[in-house]
Amino acid sequence: MSIITISRGSSSMGKAVAEKVAAKLECDIFSRDLLFKTSGRFHVPQKTLEKAIHDAPGIFERYSHTKKVYLTYIRAILTEMVAGGNIVYYGLAGHLLLDKLPHVLKVRITANLDGRVKRKMTEGFSEKKARDMILADDDQRKKWSRKIYDADPNDCSLYDLTVCIDKLSVENAVDCICRCASRKAFESTSDCVRQSKDLSLAWNAKVLLVESFPDVGITCEYGNLLIYATEKEAHTTKFKKILDDIKKENYDIYNLEVHTGLPVPANAV
Amino acid sequence: MQQLTPDMIMVLVMIGVAIFLFIVEWVRVDVVAILMMVALPLLHLVTPKEAFVGLSSNAVVSIIAVIIIGAGLDKTGMINKLVKPVLAIAGKSSSRIIVAVSFTVALISSFMQNIGAAALFLPAIQRISKLQKIPLSRLLMPVGFSAILGGTITLVGCSPLILLNDLLIPFNLEPFGLFDVTPIGLALVASGILCFIFLGRFILPQGDITENQENDHICALDSSDSQGTGDKCFYELTTPDDFMDYRDPVRVSNLHQRYLVSILALTEPPDFKTLSPSPDTEIRSGVDLVVWGKKKDVERMAAREDLKLKDTIECYGKEFEDANSGIVEAVVAPRSQFAGRSLGANNFNDRFRVSPLVIHRQDEVYRAKLDDIILQTGDVVSFYGTWKRLEVLHQEGGLLFSMPSDLEDMRPEKALWAGGWLVLSLVMIMGFNIQLSVALMTGALGMVLTRVLSIDEAYQSVDWRTIFLLAGLIPLGIATEKTGTAAWIAGSILYFIGDVQPIVLLTVIGILSTLFTLVISNVGATVLLVPLVVNMALAAHTDPRMAALVVGLATSNSFVLPTHQVNALYMGPGRYRTIDFIKAGSLISVIFLVVMIAMIYLFYGV
Repeated sequence: MSIITISRGSSSMGKAVAEKVAAKLECDIFSRDLLFKTSGRFHVPQKTLEKAIHDAPGIFERYSHTKKVYLTYIRAILTEMVAGGNIVYYGLAGHLLLDKLPHVLKVRITANLDGRVKRKMTEGFSEKKARDMILADDDQRKKWSRKIYDADPNDCSLYDLTVCIDKLSVENAVDCICRCASRKAFESTSDCVRQSKDLSLAWNAKVLLVESFPDVGITCEYGNLLIYATEKEAHTTKFKKILDDIKKENYDIYNLEVHTGLPVPANAV
Repeated sequence: MQQLTPDMIMVLVMIGVAIFLFIVEWVRVDVVAILMMVALPLLHLVTPKEAFVGLSSNAVVSIIAVIIIGAGLDKTGMINKLVKPVLAIAGKSSSRIIVAVSFTVALISSFMQNIGAAALFLPAIQRISKLQKIPLSRLLMPVGFSAILGGTITLVGCSPLILLNDLLIPFNLEPFGLFDVTPIGLALVASGILCFIFLGRFILPQGDITENQENDHICALDSSDSQGTGDKCFYELTTPDDFMDYRDPVRVSNLHQRYLVSILALTEPPDFKTLSPSPDTEIRSGVDLVVWGKKKDVERMAAREDLKLKDTIECYGKEFEDANSGIVEAVVAPRSQFAGRSLGANNFNDRFRVSPLVIHRQDEVYRAKLDDIILQTGDVVSFYGTWKRLEVLHQEGGLLFSMPSDLEDMRPEKALWAGGWLVLSLVMIMGFNIQLSVALMTGALGMVLTRVLSIDEAYQSVDWRTIFLLAGLIPLGIATEKTGTAAWIAGSILYFIGDVQPIVLLTVIGILSTLFTLVISNVGATVLLVPLVVNMALAAHTDPRMAALVVGLATSNSFVLPTHQVNALYMGPGRYRTIDFIKAGSLISVIFLVVMIAMIYLFYGV
């Protein structure tokens, strides 16, 4: 019942590895389905969501919180999809989007640039074009990670396992990942399932608040939802109305409280 | 019009700085006052002697004496003893109760600090609310407003009025007597109470008793009530013999975090009973525990943690009898040592062996992560503990308890002495025309000599914040007057508004004072405005004493926002929102201005 995220650069064989891991562990696998589902539920074009999860925020987006809103939508759907466990996600930024779940196995597939260029050229691009496309893509993801999470995607401390596909075959990499996934640390215990559900509840509550109150923090433990807001925010009619909506829409919330004047804890979403 | 001099510009800058700091509250108001006390002589706007003259002023000595006399009356339990006769007179009608309690509080407030009277009466009002089943929200606001209005009944009722005579000295104006303001004050109190009686249902939140005190968040909050409802939220459970097998250790804090129930008693092997166990205590196999919480939470916990929920309290029956332990609501008092610190940092559990259960703040009820919540004045914390331990917590001070009066550390045998010294002070002021500060200090000294309270208790009762606020702002008033700034501002204002009727001028002063007191402290507003309005009145051929009196009275017209200490204190227990104060306070503020001007017109013939 593992949850595995596979992060990779373009043309790094990540998809092939992910598919084989999923087949071997009999897990569900998804990548773009995440954007499809998010788009369906929140009526935001897939292209916009993809930009939100791929491109670094522009000057205006830094002030309008649009990226924050779309990322919240995506994370709400992602946490919902992984809540049951037994999932391989090889889409964009899985290791960052699920950073609050300790039992997720976060894998990074790396490959040298020449090998990636060669693989890209098989899609009909010239060597220069292929190289430029890969470098541009890497650059955009690096910027996105830095701007949104202050993290470098090439920082191996973000992952539990980093596999260099040039030295290991796809099969070796799959074997390595599956062995790792069977370790106790990545077992989906009842406590892990509970944590996933709590996280999903927190993100779903955040979905309702993020547009008007982007800076509120939300934690959820054992179904007890805590919203950290400023006094000013908490006393607005809009905030109170949204709280009512959260209570109505999330039947699994056991208790909901708004704490004001306190710093937002590190584990808040 | 007079030319602006460099000194006047500097005084205007200092006034601007003081007002700015009062509004933004980067530092406390008393610190702003001390800043003025130090900065003005450094800028050569006042002499060093004038800078500190406030500390030896009649106003400051009077307020120290009033505070000590108030603390003495409090120590004897006289105030609490008033509750019974007041209730007997009032009967069961909520209107009569509001009238009786509000009028009593107003009278007490006329000789004590408003906040002191309000704090003293809070537990009594909570008991009245429970006994008579009147929602607290319908009682507290009228009573709180009456406490503020009561400060206008005598010249020692509130800081601005105490200060008034000192501010008139530079103008050689005749000082006011102790009861000169009484007709106006009584009319203000009466109009305020009548407003709540006739319009209360439109301007007061109409909470009901069940919503306030017995909703599903709270369970029963007072085990001492005779209905025996106190134990309905206590449940006894037993852990199974394999409770510690195949799982991480479960601690007292874990169960609260997961199910929002409080562990109030726990057996530690072999059979050592612990009440209010520490949050770190591990829960072992085969032990009994008593918890407090909502039934559905307790049932959820029992099901998930494999605990056996008993039908009744069995092992802890004696400990949980009403006679031995219970739950009390405690309100965080003004200037409480617990305010500004988180519940966890206050460490009630380890220091006093009592368990905090829930915190009420305005219309919010907090049950989760209580340790992180930073306590504020007016927060209501429900504690469970044995009566003995709760008494220790009560004696620590800083919390206003709604608990049976026999637990309170009172000195009823000294009541006659306390009352006698108060009367003697009044006789000295009225009969022998002895100065206010001397007469009141005699009363305060008498209370110490007759052991109504010890000298240490007297010192501790003095609110040094108020003292330095008063003393520190007096030099600013002196500088405003001495440099001619007050005359210049007054002249400028009159130049713009032209000739006006005295009654119109007083109304404008009243409105100005009301607006000032909403954004800066009432003392600050008085110190800044009195020299100004006296100059304005002199220039406009209006009675300057009346202009000063309007400022002294109207700086108590602070009802629209919960910024006044009394309003802030009552906001939590009354579960009021800011909008409740805006609604009722706006009306009372308008009535205050109308009644005040009408009374000055009628009694003083302005």
